[in-house]
Amino acid sequence: MEEKNDNIFEPRIIAFVCNWCTYAGADLTGTSRIKYSTNVEIVRFPCTGRIDFMLLLKAFAGGADGIIISGCHPNDCHYTSGNFHARRRWMVFRDMLDFMGIDIERIRWSWVSAAEGAKWADVVNDTVSKIREMGPYTEYKKAAKFLEEEKIIHE
Amino acid sequence: MSKLSKDTAALLSEGTVKMIIGYEQGTERPRPAFCHTPEDCERLIFNDQCSNNLAVYLTKKEIIGEDKVGVVGNYYVVKTVIQLNLENQINLQNLVLMTVDGDDIITFGSIDEMQQYVDTHEPVPNEKVLAAIEKIDKMSRSERWEYWKSELSKCVRCYACRAACPLCYCNRCVTEVNCPQWIEPWASPLSNMEWQINRIMHMSGRCVGCGECAAACPLELPIGILTKKMGMDIKNTFGGWKDGSVLSTYNVNDKENFIK
Amino acid sequence: MSKIGVFICHCGENISATVDCERVAKSASEMEGVAFATDYKYMCSDPGQSLIKNAIREHHLDGVVVGSCSPRMHEPTFRRACSEAGLNPYLCEIANLREHVSWVHEKGEATTLKAIDIVKGVVEKVRRNKPLNAIEVPITKKALVIGGGIAGIQASLDIANCGQKVILIEKGPSIGGHMSQLSETFPTLDCSQCILTPRMVEVAQHPNITLYTYAELDKLDGFIGNFKATIRLKAKSVDYNKCTGCGLCTTKCPQKKIPSEFNEGLGLRTAIFTPFPQAVPNKPAIDKEHCNYYQKGKCKVCQKFCPTGAIEYDKPDEFITEDIGAVIVTTGFNVLKTDFFPEYGYGKYKDVITGLQFERLASASGPTLGEIRRPSDGQIPKKIVFISCCGSRDPAKGIPYCSKICCMYTAKHAMLYQHKVHDGESTIFYMDVRAGGKNYEEFVRRAVEEDHVNYVRGRVARVYEKNGKLIVKGVDTLLSAKPVEIEADMVVLATAGVANKGAEELAQKMHISYDPYHFFAEAHPKLKPVETNTAGIFLAGACQSPKDIPETVASASGAAVKAVSLLSQPTLVREPIIAVVNRCAPPMFSTCVGCFMCETICPYNAIEHEEIKDRRTGKVIKTVAKINPGLCQGCGTCVSFCRSKSIDIQGYTNEEMFAEVTALLNK
Repeated sequence: MEEKNDNIFEPRIIAFVCNWCTYAGADLTGTSRIKYSTNVEIVRFPCTGRIDFMLLLKAFAGGADGIIISGCHPNDCHYTSGNFHARRRWMVFRDMLDFMGIDIERIRWSWVSAAEGAKWADVVNDTVSKIREMGPYTEYKKAAKFLEEEKIIHE
Repeated sequence: MSKLSKDTAALLSEGTVKMIIGYEQGTERPRPAFCHTPEDCERLIFNDQCSNNLAVYLTKKEIIGEDKVGVVGNYYVVKTVIQLNLENQINLQNLVLMTVDGDDIITFGSIDEMQQYVDTHEPVPNEKVLAAIEKIDKMSRSERWEYWKSELSKCVRCYACRAACPLCYCNRCVTEVNCPQWIEPWASPLSNMEWQINRIMHMSGRCVGCGECAAACPLELPIGILTKKMGMDIKNTFGGWKDGSVLSTYNVNDKENFIK
Repeated sequence: MSKIGVFICHCGENISATVDCERVAKSASEMEGVAFATDYKYMCSDPGQSLIKNAIREHHLDGVVVGSCSPRMHEPTFRRACSEAGLNPYLCEIANLREHVSWVHEKGEATTLKAIDIVKGVVEKVRRNKPLNAIEVPITKKALVIGGGIAGIQASLDIANCGQKVILIEKGPSIGGHMSQLSETFPTLDCSQCILTPRMVEVAQHPNITLYTYAELDKLDGFIGNFKATIRLKAKSVDYNKCTGCGLCTTKCPQKKIPSEFNEGLGLRTAIFTPFPQAVPNKPAIDKEHCNYYQKGKCKVCQKFCPTGAIEYDKPDEFITEDIGAVIVTTGFNVLKTDFFPEYGYGKYKDVITGLQFERLASASGPTLGEIRRPSDGQIPKKIVFISCCGSRDPAKGIPYCSKICCMYTAKHAMLYQHKVHDGESTIFYMDVRAGGKNYEEFVRRAVEEDHVNYVRGRVARVYEKNGKLIVKGVDTLLSAKPVEIEADMVVLATAGVANKGAEELAQKMHISYDPYHFFAEAHPKLKPVETNTAGIFLAGACQSPKDIPETVASASGAAVKAVSLLSQPTLVREPIIAVVNRCAPPMFSTCVGCFMCETICPYNAIEHEEIKDRRTGKVIKTVAKINPGLCQGCGTCVSFCRSKSIDIQGYTNEEMFAEVTALLNK
């Protein structure tokens, strides 16, 4: 949902989750009927290790205002070590993004297990309210629509 | 004839190697030299200005073929050869690696010797690059975004940085994958940024810090800052370069403060 | 051109109460690539499935998206329906509109729009799905049971009696486990060894069971149906083919003062020993740590006296590899020793003992031949204090859980003591009495009413020694926290049941999960208590959590059935969600550059080297990666790592995930 001329901006957030823990945890949130904001849409991966870092950039370029990445707690990965590799990847990626000026506060990383239905709802609601406050990620979207709008200042 | 020229000429005339790759004097600075005969070796020089990373030729079959070659390289060449060997890209049987240390010509007999040399001869970091990194670190996030957008908008995606880097040897680069299109092939500030981010992520833990990418850029974009910063961060967080690729290994005790 | 069918389920009212299903179906019909869209009340029902099957046939659909409950519920159902209609099942995907949308949001525009978005994302993914075929893997018809306690014995017998082969390995020199150390078992007070030893002998004699004692698992490679176990047969220094079990060596061994593990340190054994008289196999082994020959190079008395020449020194440990189809882990548990408790003397007081040590005292084959005697001076104690919950239920000591069996065995110990020492006085300090099993409560009441065991509700703050007696300072909370001080002759601590030492290493060797207390993790606490998250490896007994004997036997039989159901199938059918390295035309042959950093990443060692050769000359052109479809489990870590994007994972390909993510955002 694009932001209209309303006063209330509703962020669009994509969640990249692993099938065995967080997806199941989100299922549990549903079974427990715990309510959370509609702004988050979940994409299922077999493991957090499968989440390519470029997909995050594609999400931002596509119009996402925020991203959630969530998987199994360390030592609990269904595939033993996928989440360890993912963790390393994020540690390097996050520092890089920050140095380039991309707003890493808009990306929320978490470990949510299959038993943590309530935690998933908290993660979602937390992230949505935080991003709602931060506002839309206009500068990235503008850069993505370069051919239409961008004006660059050169020193 | 200098000792370097004599030794390398000997290797050629004995038939130990088919070609020597080294440095010769160019118009303004040294440039790579390819010696096929002992006479060619007279051109070889070695000094502080020899900055090209000759290891970039070692993965190019069209240049070295199946022949045994000798390489007289600088510190970074040695470091690169270790990394390339780790990644199964070179055959050490087909390589005679040498470097010049003061008056001595060192011929490396094994990876361990190369590693020893690399551990003990680390060059002084470039002050200008460090100062630039500090300046950017001090900026606010949106200032950094504007800075990089402004700089990278100049990039024309010539991929000279990729061609100059010895560790970019993929025969199909990720930018050439169009199903799905990870990085848009045209030059726009965002896609240029995506290209650099991708390059740095693929280099993480592998980059030897030779700075050839920045040297090759025809627009003199500050991409050397990116590789340097990445190398520093990885060293600080993961304690060093010897892992080969920081992303293909992990430690159960990796500590971060952002995953809750 | 795709022809996808979209089927939106109302799920009764579960989805339709908050999501406008008709509208979602209508929006779906307008999406690119969708040839047919509809909604229905119960898609998983027979008429619902027929709806899907008919649509596939009528509209020649090449993809199906069902907007319904979580794929974890009904993905197999809908995939089967597609398969029956002639559509490859992997061209069917589920959009989770119930657990992720209707059950967690209020009714409204935003909810319906989100449902439409999610359906759109899945449609875009399915447009790029490729048909896949399940992988058939052969199964080795042999089970490995690790641990020879009652759980391992029961599981081995159950599997062997189904006609399948079993290998049972046990770390110690004899099978039997802790049950062989018990005197009498609750609630029937029948002799533990009497009911156990016939089973032990059955195991030794069963034609389908191969028993290796003094053996440990060294490595476990492979995957379900196709494990390769490397077993270390520790050197016993005795050739069992020659040994007759006469026991002469044990009488001649000069090292006689080694604390016996079987008697929990209360008795002694020799360096060449069988742990107990009913040991199976009933042949000795040499404990190298205490043997005069191994430590000092002298002696060799046992060899001199052995009538069959069975002693063979300096034999190295032997390693054998076995092909295994299924593994059952039954490594059991242990109890804390008294030195864990500073308030009860740090293990210094000889007469403060654990429940297991009391079992040895009460046991007719124990160090005191069944008489309850103080370890310090051999006197018969007139007053015994039993303390329940030593370590258990105590977050401060790091053990917040209940060890389950202690209330029952403490009651049993008190009863046994009263039966043996008629004028003895026993007091049990307890927090609660947990007697939930069949006839358990009646058993505890017998202790109170018939044997006059004194139950005091309260904890014991300290135990210290004074003039040869143990002063127990406790409290009676039912009498308003009145302090109770008892001068006892012996104190028995019901210490917590904990995981075995080495449990963590064993779990890591097998790639199974374990909890913070190092008990092995079951796949699902209610519905899969005997399975692990690692396919093909099952659990039984106390290695999963403290259990009494009836529960252990039940779980062992349960695990045995799981193993047999795996072994009795002709082949194992696996989901084809595996990674594949691309191949293309010469001269590139593959975009893979052969850096093999993916090999370091794969947790299943599924990545192999493939040499691409010139077919005429045989010369190697390049070496690229190849994924073993039998080993790959489909995590996809190698896919997102590969710099040249040469690996892709079937079912979650780069194109599919890219399309799904961008579709969710594009309007």
